Amino acid sequence: VPSVNAAAKVPAVSANAPADGEPALTGRGFPAVVLAAAVLAAERVSGVLVGSAALWLRAEPVAVGDVDVVIEPGEANLRRLHEALAGLAVRPGAVPALHRLREISIATVFSSYGRVDCMLERGRRDWEWLRPGAGYVPVADVRVLVASAADAWALRSRFRKR
Amino acid sequence: MGQRSGVGLVELAILEALDARRARPGGRAVSCEKVLAALEDEIGLARGYAYQVLIDLAQPWKLPVPLIEGIGNFGSRGNDPPASPRYTEARLSRVGQVALAAERGQIAPVPIGMINGNTHREGIRPPLRPAAVIDAIRQVLLKPRLSGPVITGIVGPPEFITGCTVTGDLAALAAGQYAELGLHARVTVTDAAEVRDRVAKAAIPGHRLPGFTRDLGRPVIVIDKFPPYANTDDVGLSIGKRAEEYSWHAHHPELAALTGLPVTDVRDLSARGDYWYVCLPADGTPPQVLREELLKVHGVSIYITTRLPRPLPTMIRTWIRAHQHEDLPGSLTALEIALASRQQRRLMAAC
Repeated sequence: VPSVNAAAKVPAVSANAPADGEPALTGRGFPAVVLAAAVLAAERVSGVLVGSAALWLRAEPVAVGDVDVVIEPGEANLRRLHEALAGLAVRPGAVPALHRLREISIATVFSSYGRVDCMLERGRRDWEWLRPGAGYVPVADVRVLVASAADAWALRSRFRKR
Repeated sequence: MGQRSGVGLVELAILEALDARRARPGGRAVSCEKVLAALEDEIGLARGYAYQVLIDLAQPWKLPVPLIEGIGNFGSRGNDPPASPRYTEARLSRVGQVALAAERGQIAPVPIGMINGNTHREGIRPPLRPAAVIDAIRQVLLKPRLSGPVITGIVGPPEFITGCTVTGDLAALAAGQYAELGLHARVTVTDAAEVRDRVAKAAIPGHRLPGFTRDLGRPVIVIDKFPPYANTDDVGLSIGKRAEEYSWHAHHPELAALTGLPVTDVRDLSARGDYWYVCLPADGTPPQVLREELLKVHGVSIYITTRLPRPLPTMIRTWIRAHQHEDLPGSLTALEIALASRQQRRLMAAC
């Protein structure tokens, strides 16, 4: 059983919201952006969650800014991804066309959960390397494929200083 | 950045260009196109880039202390873009003038860069409350051995001009560490009668009262005081998206319950620079429950990574030490006078 942040097991997530009229609070709550990864999985898009959201689900002490998903290459999966992004994006018109998804390195959409980066080029190059270490983590009643903490840290250190 | 004001170099070049054309507070504004042409001729700054920076300086919801007064359509907090520079004008604000005076050595340095931060340009230094920063500097000038916690307490948490709520590890931020800050819109449970009164107060000719105000006792949720970097039009779209039904809901009811919003109606009642939405909870949904859910919608809450260049007390002390032989009380007074001026207060209240 993969280790999961305690909050991820709690179905009723809390945004640690400030109370009515309360000026400022400290501390943060459950990262709602993680739900975007669950929605992609519910839409049957095959991909491995990496980045801060993956590390958070692996109980690593990181703040989650956005969702990064390495997309499995393949025509059928790209079609599902295109449809899922159209449903997820605040502006469906901004989702790259299907033929563009076959070429571009990253497709970024802004959803009501936050920013979602679909890493297409990394999927084309590293899917075989990344998939064996990944495991399923439950987010609500959806199983999300999440990279191992070691792989997620390795990818992160390649692109970020901190 | 400018060593004596902390204002960015491109921003300073724009302020200089405005001043050179006598576009000063109380004076006439100058066409932005002329300012951009001058910047291109004089320092080779491309017009498109310079206009982006000028727009940031002029949009009243971006900087705690605006350095420019923009006249004309500088865009909205939603999707409508600023007009072409041909149709917009700008002049210096009082504080913009003080920043230039400090850079020219006419007065001692001023901590404008420290106050405004740079998160408005996707930087990581958050803005701080102007009066609190000035007060902290004055206190340290009077009592150089003032303790770090006291200085941190005087400055307080970051403050954004839109009045959004700030959450996060403020102690880590004050200690000079990376801190993820949550910026939250104000989400208030109220009733339709209050919404009707607010709409009536705005008194916009031809603006019809929202239909659901017929039942004046009905609980509604008002969202306002959005984070400065949230697109208010997208917030409305996001709420609408979350209220929709999706095919996967049937297979994943738990996720559907987590992600769905029990909303029957969303109205954008923004007018005259006052951005606000009203949401009507679905029948049987306690308003407090919907309020909690709305706070999880991107745009109602956003998260930004922040870090101060060094611990807050050290930052204040270092700034004072670097300029200790100059008349800092005098320049702080000049800044305070500028902040209290009618033009500056009008600009800062425009959000």
